[in-house]
This record gives sequence, C-alpha cells and structure tokens, in this order.
Amino acid sequence: MDLRIALKLTVLEGKLFLRNYINVFFLLLFPSLILLLFGGMFGNEPAAIFGGYGTVDVSVPAYAGMIISVTGLMCLPLTLSEYREKKILKRFRATPLSPHYVIIAQIGVNLLMTVVGMLLLFITARIVFDLHFMGDFLPVVAVFLFSTLGIFSLGFLIAAVAPNMMAATAIAYLVYFPMLFLTGATIPIEMMPETMQKIAAVLPVTHVVKAMKAVWLGESIASVSSSLLLLAGIMVVCFFLSFKLFRWE
Amino acid sequence: MKMIEVDSLTVKYGDLCAVDGVSFNVAEQEIFGIVGPNGAGKTSTVECIEGLRRAHSGRVRVVGLDPWRERRALYGVIGAQLQDTAYQDRVRVGELCKLFSSLYRNPASYEELLEIMQLGDRRRALVSTLSGGQRQRLSIVLALLPNPRVVFLDELTTGLDPRARHQMWDLMLQLRERGLTIVLVSHYMDEVEAVCDRVAIMDRGRILVDGSVGDVVGRFDLLTEISFYAGLMQSGELAGLAGVQSVERQRNRIIVRGRSDEAVGAVLQYLGQNSVAYSGLVVKQPGLEEVFLELAGYRLSEASSTAAGERGR
Repeated sequence: MDLRIALKLTVLEGKLFLRNYINVFFLLLFPSLILLLFGGMFGNEPAAIFGGYGTVDVSVPAYAGMIISVTGLMCLPLTLSEYREKKILKRFRATPLSPHYVIIAQIGVNLLMTVVGMLLLFITARIVFDLHFMGDFLPVVAVFLFSTLGIFSLGFLIAAVAPNMMAATAIAYLVYFPMLFLTGATIPIEMMPETMQKIAAVLPVTHVVKAMKAVWLGESIASVSSSLLLLAGIMVVCFFLSFKLFRWE
Repeated sequence: MKMIEVDSLTVKYGDLCAVDGVSFNVAEQEIFGIVGPNGAGKTSTVECIEGLRRAHSGRVRVVGLDPWRERRALYGVIGAQLQDTAYQDRVRVGELCKLFSSLYRNPASYEELLEIMQLGDRRRALVSTLSGGQRQRLSIVLALLPNPRVVFLDELTTGLDPRARHQMWDLMLQLRERGLTIVLVSHYMDEVEAVCDRVAIMDRGRILVDGSVGDVVGRFDLLTEISFYAGLMQSGELAGLAGVQSVERQRNRIIVRGRSDEAVGAVLQYLGQNSVAYSGLVVKQPGLEEVFLELAGYRLSEASSTAAGERGR
C-alpha cells in the first residue's frame, strides 16, 4: 500500500467533506445544539430518572450514537454510492491507483470526523455545563472506536445493496431516523415507555448508546459484553455481505 | 507499428453477448473511430482495451501489453476519458489535477496541460461550475497526465455546443501531431469524417464495416444528390439523363439522385442548354451518414418484417 497516496487522497476527501455544509451542521454543530437544549432544560444536577447521574453526564456518551450515525449511516454510504453513480470509482480504476484507496480514504475521513464531532461535543459540555467523566480513558476510546466500526459496517452494507444514489438516500434515511430517535441517541431511552424500549433493543445504535454510557460512567467493559458482542456480530455479517455484494459500477 | 491489436474479442453480460467476435488493429498516430447506435457494443469493446472490463474470449494487446493482466503498466501508457464521468462535488480543478498527477511516476505538467486546454485561469474553480466543454477538456487533461501513447475518448463531444465540438476536433488533430494515437467512440458521423483516419461501424456487437472513411463510403453503392429550386421547370426530362436514377419534386425544389460524376455533369449541362432558371443548387456526396442510414435501414426493415411475422401468428 502506498501511504503517501492514501494520505493525499484522505486529505483531499477531508476537505471535500468539510465543504459540505450539511455534513458540518449535522456532525459538528447539531449534537452540541441538542445538548444545549436538553442541558438548558434539565441542567446537570443528579436526576432520579438517570439513576442519580446528571442529564448532561448521561447525554454526552449517549450522543456518541448520534454522531456515529451521521458519519456511518449517512456520509459514508451516500458518498460511496454517489462516487459509484458518477463513475468516479470507475475513473480511478483507469489509473494505477486501486479504487480500494478511495474506500480507505472514506473510512479514514469519516472516522476522523466522528472523533472531531465527539471532541467538539465534549468541549461544549465541559465549558457550558459541568461535565463529569467517571470512566477510564482507554475503555471509552476502545468502545467508541469499536462502535464506530460497527455502525460503519452497516453503512457499507447500504452502499453495497443500493443500486443507485436515490435508493441509497432512501435506505439511509429509513435507517438513520429510527437510529437517531428510538435508541436513546437523542431522546433519553429512560424516558420511553417499556414497549418502545423493547423495540429499541433490536436497533444497533441502542447498544452503542448503552455501551458508551456504561464505560463513561465507570462500569467495566465486561458489564456491556452482550451489547459489544452484538455489535461484533453485526460487523462480521455486514462487512462480509458488503464485500460480497459491493459493485464498483 | 500496431498500437492496438484486437482479435476475435467477445464480451458477455450473463447470456447477453455485447461484443461478438470483433477484430481490428490501430496503427501508431492513427485516429480510429468506432461508431454505431446505442447498445452496439462500442463502449464494451473500448473498456476491454482500457483494462476496465474482462473479455469473455479473444486477444487484446495495447502497446504489447495485455490490458487485463498488466493493468498497472497499461495505465502508464494509455489515457482514458470515460463516457459521462463526473467528479466529486466541491473539488477544485487544481486539486483534482494534483491528485491525479500524484498517481503517476513521471506525470506531465498539469499546469502546462491546463494552459493548452485553455483552462489555465480556472485552476481555483470548482469542477461543478465548469461548462460542459470545459469539463470535457479537464477530462482530457487528466487523460494526458500519464504522458500516454494512446488516448481513448468515449463520446467526448456528446452534449457540447457546435463551437466546443469544433474545438475538440482541432484538439484531437493537434494531439495526433504530437505523436498520440487516438481511439474515438462517437455517435456523430460528421465528427468521424472530420477527424478519423479509419473507422469501424458497429451494430449489435459486430463490426459491420471498417476501413478508411473513403473506402467505407466507396464500398456502398450510394447515390449523389443534386437539388435546386426551379419552380417553373418540367422535371420529367431529367429522368432520362445519363447516370440519373430518380427525380423527385418537393414543392419548388427538385431532387435528382444518380451516379456521382456522370449525373452531376449531365444535369448541369441540361440546365445550361435549356436556359432553365434555377437557384440554390446543392450537390451532396454520400458520406458516412448515408452509409450508416443504409445499414440502419437494412436493420429496420429486418426488424419490422420480424414484427409483422409475429403479428401474423
């Protein structure tokens, strides 16, 4: 693999990502705005509904699900299907560069932007509200990256099964909105009735939210092993299917 | 020297045979045109030569390389402009050129190429803001970056205005002057006549006819058309002139069809000797367009007879 070219392509794709104001809004601003809204309403005092933790302290790790969903379920599949439809992937095939680099660059850019989105949210919460972090650094980073890859695998599957951009957009929205609103990634799952919580349990992002919250609040990785195993299963199945089904043109 | 050799090339998509045993060669510094209706197999053929598609069977060599097995080496010697490729939204002309340059070992200077293609002042422009002609010229810049020996242009002028098309034609001839071999896929017969040394007309996966433009036209027994305005003239006598095959009247315009030089001479002589008042005389020599229509007509009549047969049942 030629790292120099991979890096060049990633930097260029990163610039293009940031020139898209929709990406910038939903990834970099929206999570902070929602936090300001809920934090402004409920403050960060210990609340019984959150098991004695503050609203902001519980929301910040939960919003990881929101941020990962934007890059993984929207940016990644929509960009890949756009590049296929516009024959950009094919154009790269007619060069010494393998089009795999385009995919590597997309993973790189989206992973980086996911981290940046999370950092911005963290900074907002830290400055505006008195955010507490009760976990350990390493488990939180590990669960965050693992969750990101798990949701990215779903995004790849969308790009692989959608025959064109229209279909990819339709599927992405159909997957994205339930993942955003029914999983606790935006509206706390604790506030939902029991039946809705049961429905939420089948959505992958629910498990991202659950695992992130747990390690953020200081519980061990082992305590959320079932959620992580589920994400691992999704990752294996989705990556395998995408690999089988993906078409360059 | 043969730059491209194609021997009995066959391409299949499932059961559909898109290219059915096509053979041709392209010599160095030649401009070779491939024309034909949509779905004729033109692009499939070219994509096999460009290493983008795997042949079902047959042998292809480009500058001595097997396009499918020696792709990396291939992309150092060929440049490709693909049919309706777009580029990323929000990418700038300069950024795209720089990225593509970094893919080649000894790339040509993209600054120079942009100047030649009259895009020098558009380096900072977003690709999405370029006009159709500018975008196609950018595609040519990218195709020329590897310092190729062969370039492939697939429907380069489709959708361009007449002025931009003529610019493209001049450009192709300039590129050939610089030593390039060009393979041009086109819908337009006037384009092929204007720039191509040799042409292959394809339909339904086969080459119907190929050779130099003059040869191809000469192989068909096509009639020259002489037409002029002469409202008062009795056109009946024209039919008896040497070489004339048919006379037709469309309101004030008389159309005479016949064997090339013989008929033209006879008609002009007749008009002069009988002091006929005529105007707007046009002599139209048969060209590729007529060859194509002749071939298409054959195909249409074949198709309609099949359809009639089916209705009869």
